[in-house]
Formats: sequence, C-alpha cells, structure tokens
Amino acid sequence: MSEFTIQADSVDVTQIMGQIRQRIREKRGADYTEQQIQELASVKLERFLDPRQVRSNLVEHYRKLESPGWLDPIEQAAPIPAPEAIAFNEESIYASSRGLMGTLLRFVRRLLNPLLRLFFNPDPIIFAMARQSEINTWTLHLLQRQTDLVERVNKQFEQVGKKFAAREDLDALNYEVLNNLVVEMTRLAVDMKNHKMRVESVAGRLDFDERRARALESVVQTRSTPPGGETDESEANGAPPSPTPTRRRRRRPRRRSGGPSAISSDGANTRADTTSSPDTGPDPQPAPPTDASSGSAGVDTAQSPGGTEPGTDTPAPEDTPSTARDHDDQ
Amino acid sequence: MKVAVVVQRYGAELNGGAELHARYVAEHLARHVDVEVLTSCATDYITWKNELAPGIEMVHGVPVRRFPVSRVRDADDFGRRSELVFDERHSIASELAWLRSEGPTSPKLVSYLRRHRTAYDYCIFFSYRYYHAFHGIRVTGSRALLVPTAERDPALGLRIFQDSFRAVRAVMYNSFEERALINAVAGNEQIPGVVVGIGSEVNAQPEPSRFRQTSGIDGPTVVYVGRIDENKGCRELFEYFQRYTNVSRGLTLVLIGKAIMPIPDHPQIRHLGFVSDQEKFDAMAAADALIMPSYYESLSMVTLEAWALGRPVLANGRCDVLCGQCIRSNAGLYYESYEEFAETLHTIRANQPLREALGRNGRTYFNTHYTWPVIEQKYLDMLAQLEQEDTGNHQTTTTLPGWFARRRRDQPPARHVVDQLPTGPAVPTTGVA
Repeated sequence: MSEFTIQADSVDVTQIMGQIRQRIREKRGADYTEQQIQELASVKLERFLDPRQVRSNLVEHYRKLESPGWLDPIEQAAPIPAPEAIAFNEESIYASSRGLMGTLLRFVRRLLNPLLRLFFNPDPIIFAMARQSEINTWTLHLLQRQTDLVERVNKQFEQVGKKFAAREDLDALNYEVLNNLVVEMTRLAVDMKNHKMRVESVAGRLDFDERRARALESVVQTRSTPPGGETDESEANGAPPSPTPTRRRRRRPRRRSGGPSAISSDGANTRADTTSSPDTGPDPQPAPPTDASSGSAGVDTAQSPGGTEPGTDTPAPEDTPSTARDHDDQ
Repeated sequence: MKVAVVVQRYGAELNGGAELHARYVAEHLARHVDVEVLTSCATDYITWKNELAPGIEMVHGVPVRRFPVSRVRDADDFGRRSELVFDERHSIASELAWLRSEGPTSPKLVSYLRRHRTAYDYCIFFSYRYYHAFHGIRVTGSRALLVPTAERDPALGLRIFQDSFRAVRAVMYNSFEERALINAVAGNEQIPGVVVGIGSEVNAQPEPSRFRQTSGIDGPTVVYVGRIDENKGCRELFEYFQRYTNVSRGLTLVLIGKAIMPIPDHPQIRHLGFVSDQEKFDAMAAADALIMPSYYESLSMVTLEAWALGRPVLANGRCDVLCGQCIRSNAGLYYESYEEFAETLHTIRANQPLREALGRNGRTYFNTHYTWPVIEQKYLDMLAQLEQEDTGNHQTTTTLPGWFARRRRDQPPARHVVDQLPTGPAVPTTGVA
C-alpha cells in the first residue's frame, strides 16, 4: 500500500516557515503579539501627550459617554376652545332670552319673587354664582398664560435638544480627531527615530570621509615635498614651475626602471591586499590622519606591505573603499 | 466481489463534497469489482425531500438503487435538537432523535440492508453523521467500511457515532488530521484505516497564455478557486491582500467561483465568476500560487489540482488539514497572521527557484498519492486485506443502552467534547497510511 513518503526535493517547508517567522520577529524587534503591540502603543502615547492638557483616560471617557439622545419635546395637544365666560349677577336669575315674551316673564318672576323668598333665600346662591363666574374668568386667564409658558418651554427644549445632538456629533469628531492625532504622533515618533538614526549614520560617514580626506591629503603633501629639499619632478626636468605653487598635483605611480619584476610584484601585492582579502572592507575606525612630517613612512609601511618605496606608489590605505581605490589606480 | 456504496444522495448532477466523492469512488471501483449504489430519493440536503423515483437506475454505468425518505427535515425541530445535543447535557435518546431529525430518514434503506446484507461482500458508507450510515453500519456489522468525511464540527462529539467508528471493519480517511480526530474521539486505533482521499483528473495541457489573452491580465497573479464566502476565509483574504497591495504593487488576485459575499472594489482584485474547467486550469497554471484561505477543509480538491499543475499553494495555517498537507508535501507555505501572509506571499513571488521547487514537490505529491490508479489501488488493497482477515475477531456493533439508560442525561455537550480534541497538523513520522 502506498505511503505518504515526502519527496523533499531540497525544500523543507517547515524550515522555510521557521525562517520566515524568524524574519518577522526580527522586523518586529521581538515576538510581540498584536495585543502587546497595542499595549506598547498606548504606553508610548502617554509620553507624547501632556497629562496636564489631556486626560490619560480621555479615550475611555469618550467611549463611556452615554449618548444623551434626543430630548422628546412635549407634545402639544390640539388647542381646546375655551368656554365663553358667562356674566352673572342678581338679575341673571330673572332674565329670559325670549324677546318680548321674555320681558313679560321677567316681570312675572320679579312679581313672584317675594313668594319665592318664602321658600328659600336665593341671595347666597346668586352671590356664589357671581363669584364663581369671576373665578372661572380668572382661571381661564391663568390657563392661557400656562399654555403660553408651555409653548415657550417646548421651544427651549427643542433648542437644547439640537445643542445636545450637535454636541454628540462633536464628541464623535473629537474622538476621531484625537485618535488620528495619536496615530500621527506615533507615526511621527517612529519616523523621527528613523531619521535620527539616519542622521547619525550620515554623520558617521561624513566624519569618516573627512578623516580619510585628511589622511590622503597628508600623504600627498608628504610626497610632493620629499625630504632633503628635493624639487618637484617638473623642476628637475627643467620645466617651468607651476604658476600656482601652492596647489599640489596628484602624481601617477612611477615605474621603476631597474626591476620590472619587483614593480609588478609590488603592484600585484598591493592590489591583492586591498581587494581580494575579505577583511579589507571599509574600516569603521580609520587611523587618525598623519601629518606631513612624520606620516609618510608610516603610511607607506602600513599600506604597502610589499615594500614599495615611499613616494613611488599611490598609497592605498586599508580603509579606502574599493571604488576610490579603483579611481586612484586609474 | 460485490460492493455496495451507501450514500445520502447520489446523482450525476450533485456536486456536494461527500456525494461527489462517493460517485467518483463508485465509478472507479466499478472497473474492478461489482458496485451497486444504495441511496435516497432526495437531492436537496436541506429538506431531504423525495425528488427522484425509487427503484433502480443507471448513472454513468453504475446501478443506483434509491429508497424514499420517510419525512422531510423540519428546520426548527432540527435546530432545537442541535442546540440541545451540542450545547447541553443530554441523553442518548436525544442524540437518536437529533439523528432522525437531521435525516435523510429512510427506514426502507436500512431495512433493505438488513435483509440483503449477505448479497454484498462489503458496504462502503459515506458520511458518518447521517441516518443511513449510523443505522446501516449497525445492521451490516462486519461488512461495513466507512468513509467518514469528518470535520471538526460538534456532531463529531456525539456519543452514538463513537460506536460507528469502532464497529466498522475499516475506515478510509481523507487526511491524517481526520484520522487523528476520529482516533482521539472514538479510540478506534485498532480498526484498520488508511488515508486515501480522493483522486482528481486535471487537464495536463493548460495554457496560461490563453488565460492572459481572455482575461487581459498580464502581470503576476495569485488565484483563489471556490465559493467566495466568509466561511471560506475570503473576508480575511481580502483584508490581507489589500494590505499587501499597499506595500507591494503589481500582483493581481484572481477569484474564480460563485460570490455570496461582497467583493471589494479594488483594481488588483479580479472576479471571473463561474468558468469552465479548462479556463480554471489555465488560470491556475498562469498564477504564481493558489491561495486557500479556508479555516475548515477535510480535503481540498482545488489544492490537489494546483499541485497537479505544479503550482505552489499558500494556505491558511489555522486549517489543520491544509497545513498538514503543505508540510507533508513540501509544496506549499501557510500563514496565521497578516505578517506571515505578506512574508510567505513575498517569498513565493520573489524566489522563483523556491516556487518551482514547491511546484515540483506538489506535482510529485499529487502523482504519488492522488491519481486515480493510486486511490483505486488503496481501496482494492483494503478490500483484499479484509478478505484475508478472520472476521471472527471483529467486534460487532455494541447494542444501544436500555430504555432507562438511553434516557439518562449523562452525555456531555458535543461541542465540549470536540473542543478537547487535539489540534494542529498531523505529520506522520513513519508515513504509515
């Protein structure tokens, strides 16, 4: 029966996944979980925000804010027509609305009034009814004022409700703005850190280049003024002196006429020392620049292990980058 | 030798995973032994409504005997019973009631098996979780083989199925992970089992240039094939891919399949919808890799097809089966987070030798384990092995508890049982299948 034997073909998925996960861990700096990263981000946030200006629990505060909701305006019922106030006085109980017949009836009632008073006294009733009429009128007036007041309160409630709604929108906006601000600040902090590191790197390179330039200048200076008052090659050959004596001219390596094998071997040795060795890359800590009086022998001894004579070969310090060396060799 | 393939649904038009699996197996086994399919009259796996005529018909040269379903599924009743047995302490009677409610309840099929079991040398049951498999295994006893098609779902934790896993003569697993799950839940290590899976027939001459011409996609692509569904992990895929395109442009995600969730409107995401098999294979051959973001797969045929075409796979590492297949085949990488997604995708894209090596491994893996001759031989070997064994040693199905014991609420929630099962890819040390 066939079995699930693995044909690896020099690929091991488990190993590749291990390498990938290792790479991810290195990128992160540590094997943090998403939750840990979030926690770190929140911790960094507190360093950026001024605690006097921003509450540390502001975000939580925003989240816990309960929405005030809309204020329900008091529903205004349809206005009920107020009953007409009735004027009442002592004559009202005898009145009639039947025109001429009413006049006659009022007369008869007045005529019989003494007879009525034999049964009961209508005066308190008349008084009470008159007073009740006044009270009704006064109550009606009060109710009208109350209605006006409710209308005004209702309008004010609507205004307050609108303000609350606007405030709620503003809260959401504030939260979003704050959140964006925090994200941007965190990102800027990371960028700033990166830039800082790049500046440091560039500064280091610049410092290195300056020192290297000074070292090269000192070497050239040393060779252009050989010890014992030797003149420049052009002067020795009877050529006119340079119009700008202070400017030094870079000299090509001069072949020695007496020993071609020695020259070639020297040159080969020098090149081999500076290009083929894996340890000849740019030295992060180059030697300090040597001055013209004392540095020439040292440089030549150090940079030309093949025993090249001073002033005969272009110095190739070990810390010289390969491109620069190639340029010099050309 | 006469073999019965017993499955819940069967038909040339049915494309469900287990049903298609059963049809392929039946049709390929029919070249070697006498095969008859026993199934229901239903075509809809939600309702189990009788839609096909009972009796015998021929499907692609294989006789199919259909039996009616006695009751359609009541979705509310099934939902209530599922909640009971999955999430609460319950009784075996509740599990049996859940099984009847799930369907396809076909007592006539079970009765036929009981009466005619001697007419078949072996009965291969597909999908452990249905009525036909549980009762069919009980009545056929030592003639039963099971293709569980099990996933990590709560039904696996039900007590009644543990007997099924222990009662069959042999189990044909889809993957090592499935075998580990079933062994852990049922303790059936002594039952002969083999990891088989399913074969696939892939067009050997795909033309990537034809895909590029028809689709107008020129640059590098990765492809997803399947239902575009949140349950398949597509939401996570879209999120990860869009994040990835922010840092690495020029890669197009090609989607093939029916979309049942919104697809992001993104210039580097192209949805081709349903396409023919030829177009699908062309697209897969043109892609740098196939992405399988699904969390739950019992056996991904698309993954196998990608490997058959020599394409690496980038799979969701939280799917035990996919992760295990990638490790066993050495033909795919996997991810469990966005960082891993980005790194693995970048690695596959940028490292052509690695991509080609993964593809070669995939093709080898497919040819070794998933071509039809290999699958057929595994089935035939198992049948031959069972024929040689003494069936007297086989433990038949244990009887169900008595009336009172069956109603005792002493079974733990099935979900809890499944949660305690081991997770992770199963990488065999000896490769015994």
